[in-house]
Amino acid sequence: MKLKRYIFNLLAAAGLLIMITSCDHDRNHPGWVYMPDMMYSVPYDAYSPNPVFSDSITMQPPVKGTIARGRKPYPFERTFQGQQQAGKELENQLEVSEDILREGKRQYDIFCAICHGEQGKGEGHLYTSKLFPAKPTSLVDDYVQNKPDGEIYHVITLGSLSGLMGAHGPQIKPEDRWKIVHYVKHELGKSN
Amino acid sequence: MYHLIHLAMNLNLSKLTIAAFRRKTLLYGIFMFLLLLASQSLWAQSAAEGKKLYQTCKTCHTIGGGRLVGPDLKGVTERREEDWLIKFINNSQEMIQAGDPTAVELFNDYNQVPMPPNNFSDDEVRSILKYIEVVGEGGSVEEATAEKETQPQAEAEEPTAEKTTAEQAKDEIDKEITQRMLERSRNYSPVFWISLLLIFLSIFDLVITRLIKARFVHVVIILIGVIIVTEITVREAIALGRQEGYSPDQPIWFSHQVHVQQNKIDCKYCHHIAEDSKYAGIPSPDLCMNCHNVIREGSRTGKEEIAKIHDAIENNEPIKWIKVHNLPDHVFFSHAQHVNVGQVECQECHGPVEEMHRIEQVKDLSMGWCINCHRKAEVVNFESNAFYEAYVKLHEELKAGDIQKVTVEDIGGNDCQKCHY
Repeated sequence: MKLKRYIFNLLAAAGLLIMITSCDHDRNHPGWVYMPDMMYSVPYDAYSPNPVFSDSITMQPPVKGTIARGRKPYPFERTFQGQQQAGKELENQLEVSEDILREGKRQYDIFCAICHGEQGKGEGHLYTSKLFPAKPTSLVDDYVQNKPDGEIYHVITLGSLSGLMGAHGPQIKPEDRWKIVHYVKHELGKSN
Repeated sequence: MYHLIHLAMNLNLSKLTIAAFRRKTLLYGIFMFLLLLASQSLWAQSAAEGKKLYQTCKTCHTIGGGRLVGPDLKGVTERREEDWLIKFINNSQEMIQAGDPTAVELFNDYNQVPMPPNNFSDDEVRSILKYIEVVGEGGSVEEATAEKETQPQAEAEEPTAEKTTAEQAKDEIDKEITQRMLERSRNYSPVFWISLLLIFLSIFDLVITRLIKARFVHVVIILIGVIIVTEITVREAIALGRQEGYSPDQPIWFSHQVHVQQNKIDCKYCHHIAEDSKYAGIPSPDLCMNCHNVIREGSRTGKEEIAKIHDAIENNEPIKWIKVHNLPDHVFFSHAQHVNVGQVECQECHGPVEEMHRIEQVKDLSMGWCINCHRKAEVVNFESNAFYEAYVKLHEELKAGDIQKVTVEDIGGNDCQKCHY
């Protein structure tokens, strides 16, 4: 009798251990942690869901009309008139220098070259590989080169009038946009 | 060919009835047929030329393919007068400003996106219109018919092929990742439990049942068992809290391999705040629209997955991406510091993302891994970056040649409070 009870107890203990400690390696599960209270942030992180807001987003957009510190609201609209007005009223405050052109090229290669091509001829990889159906505008032809800096800045910021080029304002900082404008005009324009 | 046969027949006919007709009539007949022939070939030619010129239009318009940036052009020649079209195509803005009612209505219907002015001659516009007519009707010009025929075929073939490749790709990746997971964790649990059971059994036998007389058998079994159990426990204990191999299913079947390796898009195009922020940034659906406003069908996943982004924008609902690379809350990490200042390549920490269809954590992101890199990594621009001027002693040593390079550890990168505070 005693023996049977021993065996039963042992098996029960083993079973319990398996249940408690079995390690599951599931690619959909991040796994267990030692101290959850030190692992998971108590305050809501930028990208964590938030039960306070109805749309469950922590990064709520600022109140309408908010102006970020050190920034100016962009007054022009994505219309033909808006673009021409931007060309007349906006001026590139940066002076052309080697550093600025270098940074302009770096930014250009990240944000523009994929469509407009490294040479600016409108033959970026997305077009030449036929992934994107429309031929991007050549930036080295007179059409763009003769435009005032402000118009190029305007198109980078809000996108093209045709709607084929999206607004890149949210992606590229204003000063970087001006650097790209310099690069397009002073290096791409001259080398071609 | 058709016309030539007609002409030949006409000539035969003319020969037979030559006596009945006067010379003039014959000449007139031949002339008429030649004219017809010429006009036919001219028509075909101009449609072919129109096809060339139409390349400009097709970025915003389709013929029978629905609305794109601008309206569908099928049947446009029936809807509008030719003169109106010529004017509008060459300078739509002028007409809108002049207050042409149709032009203004169109302009407002299409979100006030103006059609860029063109510099076509009237004949060129006519040839484009002809091409649109030909394609819209199904086409009688060789080139147009050829294009018409190939298009539906290609469309019919693609979806089935896509489906299988999409499924295949998914299956392959799933297999690959589970394989890798197995290799890494090598699911040791059966070994673990068998050795644990053996330890228990031998202790049991040693104390109570005493079936095996030789005591050293028990000792050997227990020793080996303990070693195995300890080894596995230690391994699992180290892996606990690390998420190596974590590769959850995301709400959208987004492939980095397609976007980075195939499309050659720079990491920072989408993760554009990586240089300035603690986070690398999850791109907003708006950013996807830079390309996907036009591209609505993927070569692998079809329309379904891309439609999810459009839905998210239309319904104003966040896409609930699952964060893969998690650091504990008690560790501070900033992308700006590493990507911008340290100029660390994304792949150094995130592995070959450009080869991944579904993102997977490759490095264990353990503290030892951080520390090891800080020991080896050289400080970028140590001499030119004014921020490092405070490290006077290091500058002197570097100048004197006592040290070859300044590592992150040298400037305090491995101090506790650098990351834990």
